[in-house]
Amino acid sequence: MFFSELYSAYYVTVANVLREAVTRPVSQEDIRIIVEKYAFGESILSIPTALKEERWPLLRPDGTAVLKHQPSMPLTTMEKRWLKSVACDPRIKLFGEIDLGPDFDGVEPLFLPEDVIVFDRFTDGDDYTDETYIANFRLILDAIRKKYLLDIESLSGRGRMIKQTVLPRCLEYSEKDDKFRLRGACGRFGSTLNLGRIVSCRASEEKTGAFSGKDRAVRSRTVTFQLVDERKALERVLLHFAHFEKSAEKLDDKHYSVTIHYDKEDETELVIRILSFGPLIRVTTPQHFVDLIKQRLADQRSIDQIDHKSCGQ
Amino acid sequence: MAYSEVVKNFNKIRQYMRSFYVYGFRSRSEYTEKSSRSYDDERRRIESWLGDYMQFRQAPDGRIAFISIDSRRAAHNPMYKAWKAKSFTDGDITLHFLLFDILSTLGKIFSIKEIMNSLDGYLAQFKEPRVFDVSTVRKKLNEYAAEGLVNVEKRGRTAYYSRADDVPVPCVDVLNYFSEVMPCGVIGSFILDGQSGQVRQEDREDREESGQHFAFKHHYITGTLDSQVLYELFSAIRERRGVALETVNRDSDRTSETRVIPLRIMISVQSGRQYLMAYVPAHQKITPFRADNILSVSHGEICENYDELQCTFEGMRPHLWGVSTRSRSNQRMERVEFTIRYADDEQYIRERLEREKRCGTVEHIDENTSRFTADVFDAWEMIPWIRTFICRITDIHFSDSRLEEQFWQDIREMYALYGLEGGN
Repeated sequence: MFFSELYSAYYVTVANVLREAVTRPVSQEDIRIIVEKYAFGESILSIPTALKEERWPLLRPDGTAVLKHQPSMPLTTMEKRWLKSVACDPRIKLFGEIDLGPDFDGVEPLFLPEDVIVFDRFTDGDDYTDETYIANFRLILDAIRKKYLLDIESLSGRGRMIKQTVLPRCLEYSEKDDKFRLRGACGRFGSTLNLGRIVSCRASEEKTGAFSGKDRAVRSRTVTFQLVDERKALERVLLHFAHFEKSAEKLDDKHYSVTIHYDKEDETELVIRILSFGPLIRVTTPQHFVDLIKQRLADQRSIDQIDHKSCGQ
Repeated sequence: MAYSEVVKNFNKIRQYMRSFYVYGFRSRSEYTEKSSRSYDDERRRIESWLGDYMQFRQAPDGRIAFISIDSRRAAHNPMYKAWKAKSFTDGDITLHFLLFDILSTLGKIFSIKEIMNSLDGYLAQFKEPRVFDVSTVRKKLNEYAAEGLVNVEKRGRTAYYSRADDVPVPCVDVLNYFSEVMPCGVIGSFILDGQSGQVRQEDREDREESGQHFAFKHHYITGTLDSQVLYELFSAIRERRGVALETVNRDSDRTSETRVIPLRIMISVQSGRQYLMAYVPAHQKITPFRADNILSVSHGEICENYDELQCTFEGMRPHLWGVSTRSRSNQRMERVEFTIRYADDEQYIRERLEREKRCGTVEHIDENTSRFTADVFDAWEMIPWIRTFICRITDIHFSDSRLEEQFWQDIREMYALYGLEGGN
């Protein structure tokens, strides 16, 4: 069963309470801390009471568990099937081959890579079979975990070689680009590097403690546009921009105002994504964003006037 | 019934969560046609699960609740919490922990009688000991056996039960990454929650921090609400089985049932939409179904000519831009051609065209000009993408003249919207 109490936050929370209570008596305060960490906002109203009132007879009045063992549950068949699918994914090579062992021999993968078609992913994604790429990925992930510096040589977008010492923070993956980027502290403004452009990467001799590199600050921007709900634009637009922090407001039966918060580095991408909705959305603020759209339209109009296209001529 | 933050039925909450997240402008009155209490309960539940991701705004027609998440900054999909809110009885949770404790005695198998005796031993420690009848316990054990948690072995007429073996699981980084990028990723999140003893203790403690090793851009998180549907469809695809889909038409709010042979799942990483591509025997056509419009999936018979249908679909793929398998012009195939121009220092546009062309072909006419051509079932699907080249399009032609007229009409409307000459 997919939607099952076996995976519920309540079971996980009680398992964590019992895990403690098997070794020592737990107080109401201990239970409160565990509930706040693992369960939901209002679970504090139900879980401690159910344990205390013995509706769930699992804790003795002295706070010790009636269990003799640390609570644990084997993997369900559904979990094993999903893991088997993970093992079939080409990206798993980045982490090293995973050996699921003989217990998985009779387990069918939930799905195989060929069962899923991502139809609008860009085709110049990273090469996850490239040995150098894999080695760089693993070294970077290790450096993120252990927080040490890396000396990295990479090619810029214009083909120039750049050498940097970076304190890696995280690997950012884009499903659309099918690429990983390294985000890290470096120099005055931080660093964002495409893993596919890294030429060499090795642990630095420089110590992290003395490192003065800064993290990249997110340059948050907003854009507001009005949309007219024709040709199912409302649903298409709101789904398309769903991954941004956003707010939407209904103006009348057909018109809506949408504000999106984005990072300045993604502005050009956002301009073309807004253009893709044609006349169904119109940017209202800020003016510089309006001008970016206008400039593209003006350039198109210039071409039209030369070639006499758009006015039905 | 008294309010509870856990729920029995996921479909209702699925709809509310999508609405709060995607359509964050609806006021209470727009949800309360059927029941205002239902709205209040669902909103309260989602607020309890998502905390600060649930936000409120005052509007003239009332308070508006919405979910706002920058998925680039959230290490784990917050919507997974909805899948962890299944309701249960006092008996369910009690039996869960006691049965696994009994079965955790290494290398031992237990008859139902032994299990009942042990259970009584645990429960006798309380002032008012709860009593479970044998059929309830047997039913629970059989449920767990069906989930793969418990082994059942028959010796003569007696069934013996044992705990399924622990198996190794990949490291937390693997689970963190794939739980965000794989279909049905919430299953990875279940494993990470560490109910399973296999997630190493130090990893479990480190989980919060290790979640930050990865971040995700262009990350659509609403798809998780369709995970159960996808799970059932994947299972049917692997077994080459037909299914009955219960679907809803969002415009009319009507539901219907369609018998289909599921072939593939198609996913858009530019809108987050997930589709089932399926053969519909009643129409003898391969058709897309949006996963978020599928309410339930019931498995049917194994399909004898499954390979043949897969081959038919493979033959169609070179003409699929998105998921549409039918034109609006009644032409079997529609042709699209356009030419773009770019400056010497804009060679990235040429690269963009190459990486985004999908089933189309690109011809580089000179250093500054490229031509794109495609023969597709439905050229309307391409329009949004073509518009992203506005400012560079020197020539465009559609085999469907209505579409060509609409394209230029839209461009003229855009000129007008921004006050440029040449608009309507």
